[in-house]
Amino acid sequence: MAGNGMSECCGPGYASPADAMKAPREKLLYSIAIYTGTGIQKPDYLVTIDADPDSPAYSQVISRLEMPGIGDELHHMGWNACSSCHGDADMERKYLIVPGVRSTNLHIVDCATDPRNPRLHKVIEGSKIKAKTNLSAPHTVHCLGSDIIISMLGDAQGNAPGGYLHLNKDFEIVGRWENSMGDIKFGYDFWYQPRHNVMVSSEWAAPNTFMPGFDLEEVGHLKYGRELHFWDFEKKEPKQTFYLGEDGLIPLEVRFHHDPASSHGFVGAALSANIIHWWKDEGGEWQWEKIVDVENEPHPEWPIPVPGVISVILLSMDDQFLYLCNWLHGDIRQYDISDPHNAKLTGQVWMGGLLGRAPEVNGVKVTGGPQMIQLSLDGKRLYVTTSLFSTWDNQFYPEIRTNGGCMLMVNCDSDKGGMQIDPDFVVDFGKEPNGPSRCHETRYPGGDCTSDIWL
Amino acid sequence: MTTYTITLANRDGASYRVAAHRPLLDSLRDQGVDLPYGCQYGGCITCAAKLTQGSVNQKAQVALNNRQINDGYVILCVARPTGDCTLEIGVDSHDKLYRNPFLDPLKPHELKADIATPLKEPT
Repeated sequence: MAGNGMSECCGPGYASPADAMKAPREKLLYSIAIYTGTGIQKPDYLVTIDADPDSPAYSQVISRLEMPGIGDELHHMGWNACSSCHGDADMERKYLIVPGVRSTNLHIVDCATDPRNPRLHKVIEGSKIKAKTNLSAPHTVHCLGSDIIISMLGDAQGNAPGGYLHLNKDFEIVGRWENSMGDIKFGYDFWYQPRHNVMVSSEWAAPNTFMPGFDLEEVGHLKYGRELHFWDFEKKEPKQTFYLGEDGLIPLEVRFHHDPASSHGFVGAALSANIIHWWKDEGGEWQWEKIVDVENEPHPEWPIPVPGVISVILLSMDDQFLYLCNWLHGDIRQYDISDPHNAKLTGQVWMGGLLGRAPEVNGVKVTGGPQMIQLSLDGKRLYVTTSLFSTWDNQFYPEIRTNGGCMLMVNCDSDKGGMQIDPDFVVDFGKEPNGPSRCHETRYPGGDCTSDIWL
Repeated sequence: MTTYTITLANRDGASYRVAAHRPLLDSLRDQGVDLPYGCQYGGCITCAAKLTQGSVNQKAQVALNNRQINDGYVILCVARPTGDCTLEIGVDSHDKLYRNPFLDPLKPHELKADIATPLKEPT
């Protein structure tokens, strides 16, 4: 039921976030699973999971698409098209772009011809990307009208700050998207809000720093990010930088409100375990503040309290709830952000983590902690995976090598708030046919709460 | 062409002749050794192996900190042999490669070369 004339056409996605919330329930999930760094000499792969509760295969992996080679480290992924091209009847949400962080290979996967059995459409070789653009280590994929941009965290030698790779709709390399990186030191995630002519980008570290593993001492040596960048989106260059300091150590996932008119956005500072909120004030100036501060927790065997390490955040499609994961503590939290200046904790569940609160869930030993999450468009089901990054997993949760990762589902009250782990849904990646693998980002065929941007 | 003998201690002592000028990852994979790897430029640690005898030139690696180097780790995708070597390969050689950075922090001289503080020479 279209809300305006333009949406009568048949482009991908939805006319508005409100329309997206009325979409049919997700029945398939795509998630990546990795063998890189596990000792199993097999390619990383894309799994398709049956999420239809009426299906006999509910909560099971129904197909696996192996990448051509080993060592990619699949991580995040994105669609070729989203609601930003809803008005373009020539576009279709058909291909997942699945990058390898370590190899720089981009795998273009056709998920529409047979949604239950995705197939490899094309590979853009990492060597070609490096040669043409001097970029490596692909991370976030956003479609941009009919084009695609990908944050690349390093140059071809793995040094920061990298830049942005621009692909056209036929998956040909156009070149670098940005006109300038300004004084930006590091790259990671980004999100754009075109009505405000703004893009916001965050900072992890140089690939040569984060890929081998995490050293706390390197944070003190300024090898990890602590700044947030506001871009002039049309000019494709950074315009303003906020130094977040100790409140914003390692700012990772960037989420604007889904409402395209809103200027409010949020980023999770992983090591500080804070949520930073930004908005444009009445004078048109960008402002920021800390709205959530997760306290470090004591641990019997640790000399210092354990930081939460907020590895991800996301917003419900109606912009009412913010979800975050504390990967080291082991909890997922739900905050009501109806007033974005005052986040109210409304739900919390535990799975895995280092504090020992929920070592086993639904009969599966949870190794790792809640890490990537994806929320259904209607805001009622949150799918959770437990692996962060192969080398970091190996440091904090070495047993993941033999136990693998797992996927769980959390039922969320989208009116009053509240969360409960669903007792009937669990995918144990420790029992994969080629041995224990680790699952990371999840997406749905029809778009989800981190895939779509409205113009 | 200069060649050396590489012995794989944790693969039943299998040995291979390899060229001095090529990265060990390439030479060993070409001879059928199944090895993990990732970035293939010395930046990501996935292909790390433990050198228990011999020596390599791995100036191009940027992944290892000084503690890992002192523990014998080498980055096979860029390491070239400078003599006969014995290696332990694969993740079964990674017992000392990964450590919890909160429980077992690095000392200043154990950081990566570009930020490490050298140990003072005894006077």
